[in-house]
Amino acid sequence: MGEVSMPRLSDTMQEGTIAQWLKQPGDEIKKGDILAEIETDKATMDLEAYEEGTLQQILVQEGETVPIGQALALIGMGAVVQSPVPAAARSGTDGAGAAPAVAASPPKAETNIQSAHPETARVGELGTVKASPLARRMAEEHRIDLHQVQGTGPGGRIVRDDIEDLLEQRAAPPAPASTPAAAPQAIPAPAAPPSAPPPETEVRKLSRVQVLIARRLTESKQSIPHFYVSSEVDMTDVLLLRQTLNANLDEEGVKVTVNDLIVKACALALEKFPEANSTIQGEQLILYKHINVGIAVDAPTGLVVPVIRDTNTKGVRSIARESKALSARARANKLSPIDLEGGTFSVSNLGMMDASSFIAVINPPQAAILAVASTRKQYVPVEGQPVLRDLMTVTLSADHRILYGATVARFLQEVKRLLQTPYSLLG
Amino acid sequence: MAEITYRQALHDTLREELLRDENVFLLGEEIAVFEGSYKITAGLLKEFGPKRVVDTPIVENGFVGMATGAAMLGLRPIVEIMTINFIILAMDEIVNHAAKIYAMFGGQCPIPLVIRTPGGGGQQLAATHSQNLEVWFAHVPGLKVVAPSTPADAKGLLRTSVRDNNPVIFLENLALYNTKGEVPDDGYTIPIGQAKVTKEGTDLTVISYSRMAAVALNVARRLEEEHTLSVEVVDLRSLRPLDQETILSSIKKTNRAIVFEEDWRSFGIGAEIAALVQEEAFDDLDAPVKRVASLEVPLPYSKPLELVTLTGAKQLEDAINELAPRRRRSAS
Repeated sequence: MGEVSMPRLSDTMQEGTIAQWLKQPGDEIKKGDILAEIETDKATMDLEAYEEGTLQQILVQEGETVPIGQALALIGMGAVVQSPVPAAARSGTDGAGAAPAVAASPPKAETNIQSAHPETARVGELGTVKASPLARRMAEEHRIDLHQVQGTGPGGRIVRDDIEDLLEQRAAPPAPASTPAAAPQAIPAPAAPPSAPPPETEVRKLSRVQVLIARRLTESKQSIPHFYVSSEVDMTDVLLLRQTLNANLDEEGVKVTVNDLIVKACALALEKFPEANSTIQGEQLILYKHINVGIAVDAPTGLVVPVIRDTNTKGVRSIARESKALSARARANKLSPIDLEGGTFSVSNLGMMDASSFIAVINPPQAAILAVASTRKQYVPVEGQPVLRDLMTVTLSADHRILYGATVARFLQEVKRLLQTPYSLLG
Repeated sequence: MAEITYRQALHDTLREELLRDENVFLLGEEIAVFEGSYKITAGLLKEFGPKRVVDTPIVENGFVGMATGAAMLGLRPIVEIMTINFIILAMDEIVNHAAKIYAMFGGQCPIPLVIRTPGGGGQQLAATHSQNLEVWFAHVPGLKVVAPSTPADAKGLLRTSVRDNNPVIFLENLALYNTKGEVPDDGYTIPIGQAKVTKEGTDLTVISYSRMAAVALNVARRLEEEHTLSVEVVDLRSLRPLDQETILSSIKKTNRAIVFEEDWRSFGIGAEIAALVQEEAFDDLDAPVKRVASLEVPLPYSKPLELVTLTGAKQLEDAINELAPRRRRSAS
């Protein structure tokens, strides 16, 4: 099947607009026939056919502007291919629903990405999807189903650009009906080449993960109005509970950590304060049905936040097993995208590094993050007498568009209550 | 560093090697008294005498055979074949003798033979005087084939070829003889089997050699200046052996490649490179390897027809525009 693409009709031409199609699908085309009139930066010029055949499909409509090289139409042998497009197979990433079989994409800037190719052009005889080897590899790495991807290469082939487009779209806030947003996985091209480093410095190139983290954290701080509430929690009883739990472990048992107990406490508290388990989209508040708590891990490639799903329904031992496995995978750089997707709340713990308190940055698009500091012995007054207790400061960073001071303070009160009556965590 | 012509670089290197090693001698048609059809050997007869710079009759099979025999006995002949079109007459000597004697005689006679010859067209010399036959030799085990595109590469590679104990086909090009370039003054050599990335880029790779490598570099530089695309250019410099590593690294980086060659597309140099790339870098390919070559007809004498038949900058640029990835295109 021959592809007619936007030709370079003048030296300075970068893109052209279809002014008028002079042939329609079904028309017989001979070499030299004028297919369409194309408006360029200089003048309106003829698009000549270099191949013979039947005009199968028009891919770019009148009035649309596309860059040089973009496929405009398909010319083939025989009758026009009538291909009803099954709605289910259409990529739903733009949330627009099924597109018609013959291209009639709305004239938007993103149309170039989504110019519709019929399903049959892309799917081979055996029903396999046409994709370049590189695109296949990328799709596998990112767990993308190729059937959901629009191919813009020759003959509707899926190429790297199409996968990159999909990854970027994934990074944007999700449609209301879908599950909680995934961590963005696409990296945009760097803005400009760096200038020469000043002398007496060591230059280290940031890894892809680090660049991504930098971008997300900047975005978070710039677009989310953060506010912070701290609370001091008496951890004495929790620590005793932990000792008891771990004392009765058999050989294969996983030790429950303080963090595991804190994560469970947060999950239970989130049941009572669903606004803290939500995300904002424009003027809508999206409340998540599931409570998936992410735990921040310092992995060799950078900071990652793997997620424990349905944390509120899991026992502390399950949480302990999962968090240990996730941390191990994180440190070995073996986390898969599924491990990182779907978080609704995050916990960051610097207690083991002796920080007395700290403030964390919200992990977008979540509403809040809990920063857990170290537990230290302090004397507190109990009935007028100084008693040595284990105290820990936690600080919640919250999105002020969603949460207000009172809610957050009450949420922390609940977390504190759960931790200070720790048997409520086992249930 | 001096800026000299490709011709001058060849001349100076031949002279230096003649001075350096008394076993080196030159032979070919018109190279002595006439000083060379393309003046590469000007002044050398006068300086070194008729035993070191030898005029031959018009009998390629004869004098290449003679050179092979001389090489077997320890001399180091540098044969000039006036243009690669005439090498066909010496095929038996090159492929059956020069390429195989070392192996077939159990290592007793290395053949330190260099055959210098210009290929290519564009001067209206018509079908039988404008061909690019280097791929025939790149196919033969026992031979080495090099193809420098700049004066500096010509010098470095010629030195290495003369000092190599294997038969080397040294491919030049008529249209390159007058081109100029910076050439270092020291006694540097360039290893055979080493390609060069003459321009770095990110959107796609153009792989080329000899005159087309120079054309590709110009096209790529111009596209960069116009901020349209970032094209990486790999100058092979060596056809046998091929620098697989450099080629594959470039593919892994840009994921799209064009082989730009003056020879014919079918069964040409690009065919080998495309096969190599899909074998070794299949998962890094975002599109099939494109081959841009001259039209597969006997080259016409008529200038307008010659221009259309021989490939060139325009065909390369068209191919680059077709192959360039969509997102890079709109980002320009």
